[in-house]
Amino acid sequence: MNYYAGIDIGSTAIKAALIDDEGKIVGTHIAPTGSSFHKNALDTFMNLLNQHGIERQAVKFITATGYGRKLFKEADDSISEITANAIGAYEAGKAFGGVRTIINIGGQDSKAIQIDVQGNVSNFAMNDKCAAGTGRFLDVAARNLEIDLEELGDYHFAGRNAPLTINSTCAVFAESEIIGLLAKGHGKQEIVSGIHYSIARRTVRLAKRVGIEDRVYFDGGPALNKGLVAAMQDELGRELVIPEHPQTTTAFGAAILARSLFLAESKEEA
Amino acid sequence: MNSSEADTYYLSRQAREAEATLEQLQDDFPDNPQAMQYFYDLFHRVYGQGEIIKHSGKLVGTTCIHAPEELIYAFGATPVRLCNGSYHYDQIGADFMPAKSCSLVKATLGSLQAKAAVPNTQSLDLIVNPTTCDQKTKASAMMSAMGYKVEDLELPPAKESEEARLYWQRSVRRLATRLRELTGNKLTRKKLQHAMARTSRAQTAFRTLHQLRKSAPTILLGKDAFLVTNAYFFDDIERWTAAVEQLNNELLQRQQDGFQAAQKRAPRILFTGSPPIFPNLKLPILIETSGGVVVADETCSANRMLYDMTAVDEWRLNDMVDSLADRYLKPCTCPIFTRNDDRQRRLLQLATDFKVDGVVYQAFSGCQVYEMEYRSIADALAERGLPMLYVETDYSPDDMGQLSTRIEAFLESIKTRKRQAL
Repeated sequence: MNYYAGIDIGSTAIKAALIDDEGKIVGTHIAPTGSSFHKNALDTFMNLLNQHGIERQAVKFITATGYGRKLFKEADDSISEITANAIGAYEAGKAFGGVRTIINIGGQDSKAIQIDVQGNVSNFAMNDKCAAGTGRFLDVAARNLEIDLEELGDYHFAGRNAPLTINSTCAVFAESEIIGLLAKGHGKQEIVSGIHYSIARRTVRLAKRVGIEDRVYFDGGPALNKGLVAAMQDELGRELVIPEHPQTTTAFGAAILARSLFLAESKEEA
Repeated sequence: MNSSEADTYYLSRQAREAEATLEQLQDDFPDNPQAMQYFYDLFHRVYGQGEIIKHSGKLVGTTCIHAPEELIYAFGATPVRLCNGSYHYDQIGADFMPAKSCSLVKATLGSLQAKAAVPNTQSLDLIVNPTTCDQKTKASAMMSAMGYKVEDLELPPAKESEEARLYWQRSVRRLATRLRELTGNKLTRKKLQHAMARTSRAQTAFRTLHQLRKSAPTILLGKDAFLVTNAYFFDDIERWTAAVEQLNNELLQRQQDGFQAAQKRAPRILFTGSPPIFPNLKLPILIETSGGVVVADETCSANRMLYDMTAVDEWRLNDMVDSLADRYLKPCTCPIFTRNDDRQRRLLQLATDFKVDGVVYQAFSGCQVYEMEYRSIADALAERGLPMLYVETDYSPDDMGQLSTRIEAFLESIKTRKRQAL
């Protein structure tokens, strides 16, 4: 059996995905990026292989993506995370009846991608250099509120009062705004839902810029946050498609590309 | 610059910024044309070492392509374009402008404020500041406050109407008066004719270069083309023309030899929007290190500055000045004008002529007019099936990682589309 790997080296986490000859997903693995990301990327990849008892030689092609894509020399090729995300979401979206719009929130950026019926990127937009509305923003907020990142979803639904308005779109200023709200005696629940709505508004604006078509696929780590998902659906006025593993869609896309590149190359050689 | 300043100039941040860009331009790309060495050396001497280019007569700074250079030459003075591309001066200039202002205006003000700036601004005898966008208009008073002599060259907000045309002609005539007072010289038909002929020789060389870039596969990278036109800002015009002619000859040879400066399938990009000015060539460099190639542009640091030529066959001096003024108003595709359908037309024409696969639109944060024209240009291009990448950025290098992802994704999507069309 031959295997193909996609490895997505992001700002916060490294995600690896492995697929087999038929393009079926074998497994995924996620680890924090840390400071020595090259070593961590290699470890993540080897861990994934070990978990499934697969030899390194059985992996015929590796495609790297994400911010660290060019520095991961072990890969056979690299691709931008926008294209990889589109490929992964197109494939994973088939189970939901097909998707044409993708919203991704990552550690330090958020993107909206529109794909055509064949799964190719037709338009995309990305936030401009600033952590507002990204996973980093949630991270900072959770720390200010002294709650765990995983708890944000529960807090979102627990509030009795309306979500508060967080005006600052800048992560740094929002921090002081949150502290101010806490000082005024507002509940953490309302602050959390307020943060979710503030991110949702920004992200939906981005998605509208590229044009919303058909079903909307939402991925990236923050898609695990049920509260944020609810806020996004509210702002968007429609249901979102949330995959089972939203963090690894891009790595999955890179793995699919690895497989097709390998198959194309062996066909050329033959 | 005195001798002690010159001794330490190469250590300045501005010089190091310039050297880093020059290194990228030369070392990140194989097979640069030999004739480009003139330009690499020129920027190294002027920006890296602070060399002052000799000029004749009074030195007249201009802050925009609307200042008619032929008129300045005809009075025996030398024009130098002050529009600045340095991040270092952008930060100095930030003191003068609100936070979200255009990097180009801030950097220009910053370089005028700084001592030992490049190109040498200490000996400027006059600054001609066309009143284009709000930020450049307000910069006039700030430059005066720094002690410079400034002539506001009043530009109308529209260019189609007859009123606008007359208003502009009067502005240009007033500039002529100011130049006569400054230089003590008298304008004659002969002098103006001579100046026009010289500029048109430079423009002819540029046009040849422009035409050569139609070659597919490409024979010259856009990063070099931008450096060539950037040199026009301050270089001696005769020497510049000769250097471009030499480059053209080499490119012609390349064309005959079937040489390729990039991969055959490299997406062909048309560059538009806020102008790339050395050392801020980050977007063209990113496009070309990511496997694309900039084959044409519609910016005021290159094509818009040099493409349109003056064809004057008037008998009287006054009429000559008027038709010179027309050349600087009518064909201009700057987004400051109320209506600017010309820009759409020109982009579509360039896209066809240069077999363009996609358009990259740069808007400096705070450059509202380019930001505002984004939608109409995007629509016009979409109608033709031309993909466009809109990039809002400034002179700071900290969005490089993010930009490279966007540019690569854009180029990848162009390649996939082309593959499927086959």
